[in-house]
Amino acid sequence: MRCVRTLRSAMLRDFQRAFRRDLLGDGDGDLAAFTGMAPDQAARRMRIYRNNVQGSLAGVLASAFPVVERLVGKAFFRAAARAFVERHPPTVPQLSVYGADLPGFLAGFPPARTLPYLADVARLEWARIEAYFAGDAAPLDPAGLSSIDPADAAGLTFRLHPAVRLVASPFPVQRIWQANQPDHGTVSKVDLQAGVERVLVFRPAMTVLAHVLSAGDFALVQGIAAGATLGSAAAAAIEAEPGFSLQQALADHFSRAIFTDAA
Amino acid sequence: MTAKTLSVAAALAGAISVAGMALSLPAYADNEKCYGVAKAGENDCANEAGSHSCAGQSTVDYDGGEWQLVPAGSCEEMGGSLEPFEGVNPTPPA
Repeated sequence: MRCVRTLRSAMLRDFQRAFRRDLLGDGDGDLAAFTGMAPDQAARRMRIYRNNVQGSLAGVLASAFPVVERLVGKAFFRAAARAFVERHPPTVPQLSVYGADLPGFLAGFPPARTLPYLADVARLEWARIEAYFAGDAAPLDPAGLSSIDPADAAGLTFRLHPAVRLVASPFPVQRIWQANQPDHGTVSKVDLQAGVERVLVFRPAMTVLAHVLSAGDFALVQGIAAGATLGSAAAAAIEAEPGFSLQQALADHFSRAIFTDAA
Repeated sequence: MTAKTLSVAAALAGAISVAGMALSLPAYADNEKCYGVAKAGENDCANEAGSHSCAGQSTVDYDGGEWQLVPAGSCEEMGGSLEPFEGVNPTPPA
């Protein structure tokens, strides 16, 4: 009895593995052995499954990365998505988190080599997705800090809102993103040589927004994100950008509601 | 108190007073247009994807051909980005 059960579960496991191989790859037809069908018939039926799975996953990716899709065109995107799905099948039964690996995949995807900024645009799009789905938290009320002893100001640490993301790229990714919005009226030229762009993604009032930060401001938020004190994050900011204004940056960030706590 | 802690404190105090005057979260809501990133409801299999798999089995099968695809989309509208692949990618990666 026990032997039979073991045998059956072994068969089930083999069957599931073969099914998965067929579903995600180009199937080698070994499913026929389990079904008793002729190999070509099994393969033909399996193709329906495969196209459904791969087609819907490609659709999920297209809706998460609309700018990437626009940049490369639908045919290219679909082919890239299919290659991605084969190599990075979903690991969590939740489509809203599917696609996190696409930026890295695109960075090493040979056919996309002619668009060196593509992976970073994808990173920005994914940062927006993460910001969209991140948990909520009440923003810090800066008035609560007004009673702080000036001697303690430099030792303050801030907690960032869960939706805050930072994306830095050697390419003007935010401008590329903006130029490729459906409601972006005029066709705009984006100068790819414009240099590094550092983007803050945040979500005040439940709306995902992105703002390009200066080098100093980016270093400040990066430091704060890493748990640095205000004093050392500010020092890093000034090192990155000699004319950096801490007051201006903090005032902006307070109104962007990117902090939830200070301690 | 060192000069550095003093300047951080002054900047913080200044920022608090500026933010206090204009704590303007709602202003952000209409400051910048945000493209809908909504993925809610994507967990279906009956719409575009479903029809695709039934109607387009032959086109879904890119096989080897996919590797010769050259990106062609809005990059062509964005002056600077056209240059890297002007014409058609002459030597598609293997």
